[in-house]
Amino acid sequence: MDKSRPAEPSRRRLLSLAATTGVATALGGLPAFTASAAPRRPTDAPLPKGSSRDQLWWQAPADEHSMIEQGLPIGNGRLGALASNDPGRELLLITDATMWTGGLNDTLDSDGQFPYGRDDFGSFTLLGRLTVDIPDHDLSAVSGYRRTLDLAQGVVSTSYVRSGVTYERQVFASRPDDAIVLHFTQSGGGRYTGSVTLDGTHGETVRGTSFGAAFPNGLRYGAAVKAYGTGGSVRVKDALIEFSECKDLTVVVSGGTNYAPDASAHYRDPSLDPEKLARTKVAAAAAHSAGTLLRTHVADHRALFEQMELSLGTSSDEQRSLDTWERIRARALDDTPDPELEASYLQFGRYLMISGSRGSLPLNLQGLWLDGNDPDWMGDYHTDINIQMNYWMADRAGLSQSFDALTDYCLAQFPSWKKLTQDLFNDPRNRYRNSTGKVAGWAVAFSTNIHGGSGWWWHPAGNAWLCASLWEHYEFTRSRSHLVRIYPLLKSACEFWEARLITTTLPGTSREVLIDDRDWSPEHGPQDAQGITYAQELVWALFDNYRTAARELKKDSAYAETIGGLQERLYLPKVSEKTGWLEEWMSPDSLGETTHRHLSPLIGLFPGDRIRPDDSTPPEIVKGATALLTARGMESFGWANAWRSLCWARLKNAENAYQLIINNLRPSFDGGNGSAPNLFDIYEVEKGRGIFQIDANFGTPAAMIEMLVYSRPGHLELLPALPDAWAKSGSVTGVGARGGFVVDLRWRDGRPTEARIRSVGGRTTTVAYGRSSRTVTLKSGGSVTLRDFAR
Amino acid sequence: MRSSSYAPTAPARRSLRALLVLALTAATAAALPSAQAATPTPAPTSTSAAGTSALAAKPYMGWSSWSMQSSKYPGLNPDGDYSYLTEKNVLKQADALAAKLKPFGYEYVNLDAGWWMDQAWKPGFDEYGRQKADPGRFPRGMKPVADHIHGRGLKAGIYLPVGLQKEAYGEGKVPIWNAGDCTTADIVYGDLRTTNGWDSAYKLDFANPCAQKYVDSQARLFADWGYDFLKLDGVGPGSGKNGDQYDNVADVAAWNKAIAATGRPIHLEVSWSLDIGRIADWKKYSNGWRIDTDVECYCNTLVSWENSVDDRWDDLPGWTRHAGPGGWNDLDSLDVGNGEMDGLTKAERQSYATLWAIAKSPLYTGDDLTKLDSYGVSLLTNREVIALNQGSMPPARPITPSNPQQVWAAKNADGSYTVALFNLADKPAAVSADWAALGFTGKAAVRDLWNRENLGTYKDKVSQALPAHGSRLFTVTPRGAALATTGYEAEAAANTLSGNASVADCSACSGGKKVGNLYVGGKLRFNDVVVAKAGTYQVKVAYVSGDPRSVEVSANGNGSTSHKMPSTGDWGTAETVSVPVSLKAGTNTITFDSGSGYAPDIDRIDVPKSS
Repeated sequence: MDKSRPAEPSRRRLLSLAATTGVATALGGLPAFTASAAPRRPTDAPLPKGSSRDQLWWQAPADEHSMIEQGLPIGNGRLGALASNDPGRELLLITDATMWTGGLNDTLDSDGQFPYGRDDFGSFTLLGRLTVDIPDHDLSAVSGYRRTLDLAQGVVSTSYVRSGVTYERQVFASRPDDAIVLHFTQSGGGRYTGSVTLDGTHGETVRGTSFGAAFPNGLRYGAAVKAYGTGGSVRVKDALIEFSECKDLTVVVSGGTNYAPDASAHYRDPSLDPEKLARTKVAAAAAHSAGTLLRTHVADHRALFEQMELSLGTSSDEQRSLDTWERIRARALDDTPDPELEASYLQFGRYLMISGSRGSLPLNLQGLWLDGNDPDWMGDYHTDINIQMNYWMADRAGLSQSFDALTDYCLAQFPSWKKLTQDLFNDPRNRYRNSTGKVAGWAVAFSTNIHGGSGWWWHPAGNAWLCASLWEHYEFTRSRSHLVRIYPLLKSACEFWEARLITTTLPGTSREVLIDDRDWSPEHGPQDAQGITYAQELVWALFDNYRTAARELKKDSAYAETIGGLQERLYLPKVSEKTGWLEEWMSPDSLGETTHRHLSPLIGLFPGDRIRPDDSTPPEIVKGATALLTARGMESFGWANAWRSLCWARLKNAENAYQLIINNLRPSFDGGNGSAPNLFDIYEVEKGRGIFQIDANFGTPAAMIEMLVYSRPGHLELLPALPDAWAKSGSVTGVGARGGFVVDLRWRDGRPTEARIRSVGGRTTTVAYGRSSRTVTLKSGGSVTLRDFAR
Repeated sequence: MRSSSYAPTAPARRSLRALLVLALTAATAAALPSAQAATPTPAPTSTSAAGTSALAAKPYMGWSSWSMQSSKYPGLNPDGDYSYLTEKNVLKQADALAAKLKPFGYEYVNLDAGWWMDQAWKPGFDEYGRQKADPGRFPRGMKPVADHIHGRGLKAGIYLPVGLQKEAYGEGKVPIWNAGDCTTADIVYGDLRTTNGWDSAYKLDFANPCAQKYVDSQARLFADWGYDFLKLDGVGPGSGKNGDQYDNVADVAAWNKAIAATGRPIHLEVSWSLDIGRIADWKKYSNGWRIDTDVECYCNTLVSWENSVDDRWDDLPGWTRHAGPGGWNDLDSLDVGNGEMDGLTKAERQSYATLWAIAKSPLYTGDDLTKLDSYGVSLLTNREVIALNQGSMPPARPITPSNPQQVWAAKNADGSYTVALFNLADKPAAVSADWAALGFTGKAAVRDLWNRENLGTYKDKVSQALPAHGSRLFTVTPRGAALATTGYEAEAAANTLSGNASVADCSACSGGKKVGNLYVGGKLRFNDVVVAKAGTYQVKVAYVSGDPRSVEVSANGNGSTSHKMPSTGDWGTAETVSVPVSLKAGTNTITFDSGSGYAPDIDRIDVPKSS
């Protein structure tokens, strides 16, 4: 896990390009669409068998107009697609994580804030669309239709019968071959006749089997397709590929952009011709049989997927007989736990993370998936919960590798963020500017893009929250190289706050404290409040983490001491005498909406853990936090429910935490809040209009794991919030624990029966269950199995 | 007391498109016809009198001109709105019908509105106030058109609006043909009250025998010309109108009489959106009735799904039981022959054809028969589907609620079932027909009619993936046993009624009673529903509902599902649909909750003994 890697992205890219002998797993750090080494092919061993436990299935396809609710996502971490699986017209809406309009966006609006449009700030957009038309296989003409998403294999498959012949197809996005593969087969003497079309979505001209173009922002992009079959004929005709009377057919598509995660190169690699590279890639992949491509992909995908196994109990035969969408509906209607469905919801989140976050940009508001070129909020990176929530799951769910995309992103954006901050933050029109007149370090706005730019309003504490996420990854992995990489971000964020914090005297006392300047508790209440709890907590954690980082790296001891001094003087929130809630605005009054979606003032409860339901935290603070969480209510939507669930898990209220998970599992009808048929989380922005936001697909699994294992450096607690629904028996492997451990856990009748603690760098931790606790000391790589837990 | 007394009356459907026609008519009302075409000489017919009972033994099949006339599809009406209707075009379509569709049973070629209107929509009348062929459109008059159609072995249909068209009034001085001294003043009311869906005519006053004479004179003309079919349009109550002024039942009766008097069998079809409350009259006097507004969209295509093909699924069920030999529920034109011109997806076209076929609606297409695409031909010429429509099968009706995914069925004489699956949602979905909802258990053989293949044997149900707005059409032949059920009467003392819910008499209901007044919070809870095993049961609900109404169904206090129950047509008829309910082993409650709206009256439920 502690892979050493060069710190400079641009240099890393060059190294990757030079590397031709590396094994597949060493390619994990490739920053963009780039030439890749020959994949390591698994031996000719048969494909591992899929298990129904890891399969979601449906009895209907998507069509062109329902892709975001019904399309099935695939992805290789950079290159993704939503697949319709329509027998007569397979449609893939293809995305590349770097396919963005917009730019640095460094001219502020008249209010000192950032423009936020698709041309200036930019937007995540589609790379292309691939259709495979098989006119004779119209959905109305086939029977026994079924499609399956095998989460463990990373393969979408479709089967149906047409005139007595069973037709099957598999669709997957291979990371080793850096291509999307569609494989069409049949049994019973059938033939495939139809056409393959690759199109752009930005008015590009397709020449034969590929296209290439550039956005006004200079980003070049391109894609290519190749098809081959047995029997019959496959030939290119103008802008499409016609196939006729083929016994089977393989279609390979790839594409990308010349995005480079390097501020000094203005985020471009001028030497890269994406269309040409795409052609090279599909030609290379097409040199192999579909079976070989599949085995290569499955081996690569499974290696990650198998890092966590989960059972939350056994479902009934009737539940098992239902397809995924029926099951989602039955779960909500009958209010009967469906432990296997609930476990597969978590595994679906892991599948999305493996598919959407490897070696390229991090998961944005829609992960890696789009159904058009106008995603809500640009499909950007929102820094006031969403991008952080996307990654709460990674380490907890045994996917630490997937976290790297976030680290890579922050580091690549850092020089731009810093420059924009120092040039623009103290613009006199910016209501959030530092009244000290000083500015240092870096900050971001509520939205960030991939060009070093920000969008919408300044968000001073966003830097501290990003740093908190980066720091937690260090706590989970104890990766020293990661710590070395993120240290400059932490330090620079500290410098920002050192310049920004203002001194105030607490009313009725002579005590001077440091508080945040005029600021907005995210999307809630007054926009010029000083000392908002959100910022106070985040800056407190930033300072604390920075001091630890400096100590562990044996660097900047004097500066760490300065920061320690500031930390001591930071104001921390108290409980309002009026409301009984932990205050959000340094005011006893509630200045916003009681049930507001954001839990900003509870950030010290989760993801922070300054507020703990134990002796380390004054009981009145825990009580005030609990009262506020209670007031916020149980009926919100996706990410807001997930965050609430995580907070209740931290407070060890298993049933509340569980109910909020179940709320997100409710079926979404007509754009209502809940899960779409494809399990994408839908947020109802207005009656009848729901939008896909992926954060809940990660935040909800994070909450599920947090209910099973709580951790902080030096302390680990088993089953802190196990709900009755999962209590009978269950098991989980590969849970990341802060402090540098991985936990495998089994339980029965609500109690742990066995816990295996492995060190991935951690040394000593207490392992608690209920009131009992024991101390474990391990060498890195060592493990211990614990049994006999008493309550 | 009946809950129907609390029912808010649904506003009568108004046809915007029909009003559009009215506007055009009104704009030209002042002008008088100038050109005079030769009035065909009435000649005694040699055709022996045939009672109307011989007509419409089966839903008629053919072609109608209105879809193309009413469309703004490029090139169809180059000389102005509705200008497609010309002799040349009609004969071209007749020839195409004869060549392509006649072998499959299509026989009527029906001219719609405007044959007596010039291209500016100015009407022409003969010296007896009867509509006269527009010389621009039909230079040879109407008889040669019918002759040509007959020459192709087909039948000819013509059209009239009900009443005396205002422009034919001629200050009341226009004589009525073959009616002594009768003039137009004698056939209308003294106050010149208007009638029909567009108020384009004066209402005929049948208290004066001259009025019947006028209708007789029109019928005579059509018989002499050789027409076999008349669409009488704008008829009320219906056509967006109600009240005495728009009650045209007497007109329809007069037409029935007049046609009989001609001795020529002429099929009489009445239009549009007829009042179901007068179904006995429509059945008595006509051979078919348009249950709904125009299917055409008056847009750049012939029709569109939302405007108004998809309305039919909700609007039809109340009418279903009234269809039969001699008179059929007319769903309007079946425009599925050319996807581009129709403005529909393949799936929508198939669903459209499926509903029309199983409803036993007349099958007349409004497509350009010279431009049918191959899929359109396959839909219009599937002999198995046509056989359902033309054969002895009773019209199908919903066996599930009118939810986005719904199932319609009819039991065939041979014990098999015709089963249609529909997905009216705008995204693909799986739709299942449960054998329990058909009344049997075990296995059944399934034949796919559209795809003309046997799909094999299915246990308990057949589920298929349907595209958005898609359908499947099966013949299901049971191989299992009849379903054993346990019945629970709504009025049983063991049930709990809350809100305003109350027991009411109901002669159509089992036990002679039902529970009604299920509105705004009214609930009916069956308390002792016992099943041996946990599972999902297809509970058959017998209910009464004069209009489509929703009800929330739940079991054991769990989450409820809203089901829209199809109309039973009036408040004196009970129908059944099956709803899936998840029950546990042992005793269960099943609740019917009106929620915030108005729910149907519930007669009883029948719960299968096994899930």
